[in-house]
Amino acid sequence: MQASRARLFKEYKEVQREKTADPDIQLVCDDSNIFKWTALIKGPSETPFEGGVFQLAFAVPEQYPLQPPQVRFLTKIFHPNVHFKTGEICLDILKNAWSPAWTLQSVCRAIIALMAHPEPDSPLNCDSGNLLRSGDTRGYQSMARMYTRLAAMPKKG
Amino acid sequence: MVSDSITNAPIPSAPNSRDFSKKKRANRSAKLKQCKLDARREQWLSQVAVKSKGCKEEGNCAKKERDRSLENPRRRDQDNNDDGSIHHESDSESPSNSPTNSLLGGGGGSGGSDSGTNFVGSSSSRSSISGSSSGGCCSGSITEEEEEDGCLDDWEAVADALAADDDNNKPEPEPENSYSQSPSESQLSMQSDSTPELTNGLGLDSANSMTETESARMVPRISGNNTQAWRPDDAYRPQSLPNLAKQRSFPATNRHFGHGGVPWSRNSVLGAPSSCPICYEDLDLTDSSFLPCLCGFRLCLFCHKRILEEDGRCPGCRKPYEHDQVESEASVQGGSLTFRLARSCSMIARS
Repeated sequence: MQASRARLFKEYKEVQREKTADPDIQLVCDDSNIFKWTALIKGPSETPFEGGVFQLAFAVPEQYPLQPPQVRFLTKIFHPNVHFKTGEICLDILKNAWSPAWTLQSVCRAIIALMAHPEPDSPLNCDSGNLLRSGDTRGYQSMARMYTRLAAMPKKG
Repeated sequence: MVSDSITNAPIPSAPNSRDFSKKKRANRSAKLKQCKLDARREQWLSQVAVKSKGCKEEGNCAKKERDRSLENPRRRDQDNNDDGSIHHESDSESPSNSPTNSLLGGGGGSGGSDSGTNFVGSSSSRSSISGSSSGGCCSGSITEEEEEDGCLDDWEAVADALAADDDNNKPEPEPENSYSQSPSESQLSMQSDSTPELTNGLGLDSANSMTETESARMVPRISGNNTQAWRPDDAYRPQSLPNLAKQRSFPATNRHFGHGGVPWSRNSVLGAPSSCPICYEDLDLTDSSFLPCLCGFRLCLFCHKRILEEDGRCPGCRKPYEHDQVESEASVQGGSLTFRLARSCSMIARS
């Protein structure tokens, strides 16, 4: 058994055991492929993403955990560090700052933290980054809230 | 507990003045003491066995108890001693150094001073005390060795360190337990009888050797009886045990056995994870003594090798391993060296 598979299996068991530990994160493994995971995360409170539920897709490489998992948003989100079309995430721990000590669970936590604290200086979504860099916090927040309502909230009725 | 048995046992032997009966008494009291110690140990071990069905925490409790048991005679000495503060100071000083130094210094120093008093003090009583007491510690470490093959080195090292502490304290205060008094009293009576001290010493020596042979004989019996004690492959055996023992960096509080050794087990449980944070496999003895990075992040040797083959950065602090690796190897070697030296020093102290 590869080390990555063994490790993912352990993580899976960990997730099953601590299902209620973090109510903001719901990690689900693909039924047939342990290298494909999806996560549902709640938008952090006091941000424009509050109340939304965002879906993440994890593609875990064979070299995991030495290589970081590839994560992207499946739910549309207006955020300077998330590509608006592809959902790609610009986050250092998913690139060069990755450490094998991180887990899928901790990656989810890092993404929640990124949602609450955007980094407009390394934008993937230039429109969003420009709004923040020009100091138009209100404009950014209203755009982000609108997309949260459109894409990340359960449709009423 | 142990102190009672010791103080009670030799008292009847004190008034005896004749050489032959004295020798006999000494043998008997030594035997009695050994039996009681063994019984006590068995009791603890069976308690441990019962408790170990619970969880890790209780394993630690058992360890605590064992620590206390080893520590008991020493604490008694401290109580009897007037200037206990000096001892506390010296206790707190030695562990503040690196574990290597403290182990070396404690073992070597005690060995030297002990043997010095043994020969200079001319009272063979003292040598018999230290000899038999360390012999008791020795037998204890042997039993534990046999029950827990996985960590025999470390238990021995710990027991040696404790014995060294014991010996450290012994020479300074005049031994006040009746165990030591009985020979000295008999010595007085001897002198009145104008019998050479030599015979007395010989008798005690034979008693001493008797206890040692006895302990050697009793060891297998104990380990045979305690089939409930943990074996390396026992499911109930706390996983953290080998890690605890293998922990090279004893935190300063560890050596304060005045606290009953409680922080010892707790701290090292927190200090060393039981499984590798990278692959989640259990850390074995070598892994748990492996400290590849100064940041203290521990991982198993397999993962360490894989990381070195890739980007070579510590997962804990993301700094490159590089020369740290050499250092870690050196420190691992140093650790084993420490244990070896500590053991040899304790051998000196024992003889």
